Amino acid sequence: MPFTRRYKDLGTDLDDLYGDVKKELQQDKDLTIAVENSGVINDVPFKTITAVRANVPRAITGTLREVTVTIAGVPDDWLLELHTGAWFGNMLLPGTGGFLIAGPFGAAAGAGASAVMAVDYGRKLKNKIKDMVKKHSGKAYTEDKVETFIS
Amino acid sequence: MPFVRRYKDMNTDLDALYKDIVKELQNEKELNIAKELKGDVNDVPFMSVTANRSTVPKLVTGTLREVTVTITGDKNDYLIEMHTGEWFSNLAMPYLGASILVGPLAGLAAAGATGLMAAQYGRKLKAKIKDLVKKHSKEKYSDDKVETFIG
Repeated sequence: MPFTRRYKDLGTDLDDLYGDVKKELQQDKDLTIAVENSGVINDVPFKTITAVRANVPRAITGTLREVTVTIAGVPDDWLLELHTGAWFGNMLLPGTGGFLIAGPFGAAAGAGASAVMAVDYGRKLKNKIKDMVKKHSGKAYTEDKVETFIS
Repeated sequence: MPFVRRYKDMNTDLDALYKDIVKELQNEKELNIAKELKGDVNDVPFMSVTANRSTVPKLVTGTLREVTVTITGDKNDYLIEMHTGEWFSNLAMPYLGASILVGPLAGLAAAGATGLMAAQYGRKLKAKIKDLVKKHSKEKYSDDKVETFIG
């Protein structure tokens, strides 16, 4: 599920913020940068980076598959979108950690492996990005300058 | 939103099916294959391909950002997952095709451009995969051999 925030009146250096986000993705040994795109869409500056899982996971259900971070806008009005994708997320039984179907797939879903889970990774990255936004903004960060959009 | 189907008793050549899916993604000029993963996850065969948009889109809201197709299992019991990701989907207003963005960010959602939309592409690919499953299966395709899981 994508997570989008709009930041206003922060005077953020978006290039530096993007650079730090990229470094953060590069530091994860299970990820590799797959694509970066930057440009202008109808006069709005736009940067996006996607990192994908670099190797076959030990368990598939809920394991981090890809991360995309997109920054669009200007220093005093911009959007950040964070997407984390997981394999077979809709086959997990909520609350049990179990898999919806039995048979040969039970093993592939196997929990307990030290997998990078999408939900956990997304939470950590969201918090790191918040710190980065504060670091690269010329004005004080306050909650009234931030709006979060959920699906 | 991921789309998962389980196929049973189809005797499908999964390698050939996977190769044809990769070809299908390669045929889309707006996409680049970013990553292919093949191996076993706890003894269950696993193949996954991710393609990303190769250029900056003309608009972002709802535009196709990445596609991942994953096949796991064996020829008589396997899962196919298709994920299509799009930018800023949670900023679109349902039924209106509009965006809640105003001000300097409004250009991000500008309609009228001929974008490669995620919903449309996903629908087309889903139908194509169904044809490919039939092509590479020795047993007759019937609805009772297929189960669809939604998120």
